[in-house]
Amino acid sequence: MAAAVSSPLTTHVLNTGDGIPASKMAVTLHRLDSELKIWNMLGVGTTNEDGRCSGLISQEAFTSGMYKLRFETGSYWESRGQTSFFPYVEVVFTITDPGQRFHLPLLMSQFSYSTYRGS
Amino acid sequence: MAGSLGTLTTHVLNTGMGVPAANVALVLYRQDSSTNAWTLITSGTTNDDGRCPGLITKEQFTAGVYKLHFETAQYWASMGETSFYPYVEIVFTINDPEQKYHVPLLLSRFSYSTYRGS
Repeated sequence: MAAAVSSPLTTHVLNTGDGIPASKMAVTLHRLDSELKIWNMLGVGTTNEDGRCSGLISQEAFTSGMYKLRFETGSYWESRGQTSFFPYVEVVFTITDPGQRFHLPLLMSQFSYSTYRGS
Repeated sequence: MAGSLGTLTTHVLNTGMGVPAANVALVLYRQDSSTNAWTLITSGTTNDDGRCPGLITKEQFTAGVYKLHFETAQYWASMGETSFYPYVEIVFTINDPEQKYHVPLLLSRFSYSTYRGS
């Protein structure tokens, strides 16, 4: 069994306004408790120089359910001395098959963003 | 003084099928700056062109943090399709309610994007 298996859920944040990876952005992962209807924070990280954030969740913890990735985009733009239309970005998604790999990038500029389910 | 000259509009497009997303339920909220609670401003449904006129009145349109909540999974389900996202929420800051703000949602089953438009 290989050691240090990467997280089944990965993200990649790109600053499309400046054409660079968005580094040093805080990202948190949450899962919805389906009974209590509250969000539990599972992991927190900061994007590296390549805009990636590893180790958000382990394979064992990655169960079916509703998840939320929250990107502190407003703080990121502030740290660059720039304003932004969005104070933060939250992407809520449903995992029905945790055996798959899920790559959720965020392509963003000061006034736009997009995301998709990638691999 | 009369209400602001600014407006807030949205437009939901189904990029997977290349059509406006009609009958998408949505809700507009504004955040209370002291309690951080979300106050419901309007709830509505997109028309055949994917638009929802009358989102907010000029009197209600003040500076602040707003949230648009779109019932996207419900939309896909009504067409017999699944979707990766149970709903989409877009949170944005209005600093100058005298301006026009257009916040569209371009949506497919496995992707979405938004931008500040006009």
